[in-house]
Amino acid sequence: MATVTNWIDHLNKPAEEVAGAIYPGAGSSEGILVIIAVILWIGWHILTAKSESDELSRLAKKRHGANDHKSNITDW
Amino acid sequence: MTDQLGALTTIFTEFYYWVTVVLMFLIHVGFCMYEVGASRYKHHQHTLMKNTMLIPLVTVTWFLFGWWIYWAFPTGPGLAPSIMNESTALITDESAFSATWYTATSDLMAVNLGDHISGVFWAAFLLFSWTAASIVSGAIIERITTFAFGILAIAIGSVFWTIDAAWGWHFDGWMLKLLGYHDAYASGVIHAIAGGFALGVLMVLGPRIGKFSSSGEPRNIGPRNPWLVTVGLFLIYTGFWGFYAACNIPIFDLGPEYGMEGISYWTATNIYVTPTTLSGITFNFLMSLSGGLLAGYWIAKGDPFWTYSSGLAGVICASAGNDLYHPIQAMIIGMIGVVIAYKLHYWVERKFKIDDAVGAVAVHGYAGFVGLVICGFVLNGYPSSGYSVGAMWDGTTYATINPLGQFIGALIMFVVLGLIPGYIIAKVLNGMGKLRIPREVEIAGLDYEMMESAKEDEKAVSSATR
Repeated sequence: MATVTNWIDHLNKPAEEVAGAIYPGAGSSEGILVIIAVILWIGWHILTAKSESDELSRLAKKRHGANDHKSNITDW
Repeated sequence: MTDQLGALTTIFTEFYYWVTVVLMFLIHVGFCMYEVGASRYKHHQHTLMKNTMLIPLVTVTWFLFGWWIYWAFPTGPGLAPSIMNESTALITDESAFSATWYTATSDLMAVNLGDHISGVFWAAFLLFSWTAASIVSGAIIERITTFAFGILAIAIGSVFWTIDAAWGWHFDGWMLKLLGYHDAYASGVIHAIAGGFALGVLMVLGPRIGKFSSSGEPRNIGPRNPWLVTVGLFLIYTGFWGFYAACNIPIFDLGPEYGMEGISYWTATNIYVTPTTLSGITFNFLMSLSGGLLAGYWIAKGDPFWTYSSGLAGVICASAGNDLYHPIQAMIIGMIGVVIAYKLHYWVERKFKIDDAVGAVAVHGYAGFVGLVICGFVLNGYPSSGYSVGAMWDGTTYATINPLGQFIGALIMFVVLGLIPGYIIAKVLNGMGKLRIPREVEIAGLDYEMMESAKEDEKAVSSATR
């Protein structure tokens, strides 16, 4: 995965190569990384939406009064 | 300075570090706000004073000996020869970056027309020292004496983190040469060590009264001023921009530096003098912050305290390799670090009855440790240094970055230079009866007398007729 294994060898390359990308897997892993990022992004929305729905349902079942919040302590 | 281009480069570098110091000041402002917001009303003012007074305590000791330690200790001593003088002794000779130039009596530690960099570079490192001490400060609020905290702050801020920086955050450090250690934006050298140190202190200090029920169940002592905590954490985020920039050298010609004849290559570098770009690390900073926030919001079920802290933990976890990672790698690493740190926090709290009031051990210690280990796998095979030819050394090369070296490095940071010294110093202070405030004061509140006298003052003022 290492794109650079020796900085002196790397800096001795032609200028256009020296100026290129140096992250791990440069030129071969970008597509996979983007797919993983998209999966994580969609997965996050699904998981948090479910979690939020569960919480809202739980709160709704308690049938709070309109003024109940006034007795709450301001806390996280 | 006699040529204009050289002068511009020097003055630019001087101003660059100066700006990072101003930005990093916000980290300390943020830590103060965060800690006060997390403490209960009856402890507010003492909590603020404790964290504020580390500024002069660490600054003066950093001037007297902290900066000297950084330049003297890269060899261990005795662990690997310096590339400057080929000796394994403390670097105190006449070589270019010797500690001898950074004693409190040196004329470089003052206004000197021949040196535009030492003061701002000293200050940038000093702000890292404040951060290290401030991380410890948050974990131990509401029950430690200010005296004990002052001693602990000096120990972590001017001694132990400085030693780890010399070992693993210096172009000549022995950990680079023998372990291939890489920690560009201080996952280990600031965060893991400070988290480990805080854990060592907490093991001796014990929990706040009431934190655990008689059956050992932890109780939540939530932040008393959520908005102060929020603004504090936003300020810490802001200060981290300065932190990242300060970890770089803004402009440097690596051709002559690496002994390459006829080659000139101007670039920004990290602290190890290997190439990176401010632009590239900006991608990674924001993506790791986002990864941390996403993972924190999910795992903490939307809890704001943990979500904000997780943003920080995401950056901290990815920091070791953020000079080289792809942004999506940085995001994923930030997410992994947050999940592990969050789970570990509650496991340690329940299992060992550790009361880390602000989650500092988790956010800084565990996330930093995990970040170092992951870095070893993702950057496996990259050179830890550009000085790899051995021209100035004994022929062998610096080790390349590798998983085992990073794991050993993480242990050195978290356990050897963090947890163990924190535990021992806290034990000594406890033995002297100087570590913890009396039980009665803790219950009444450290600010009890201030609040009572304020009440009296107010009574007198409100009953006045003129």
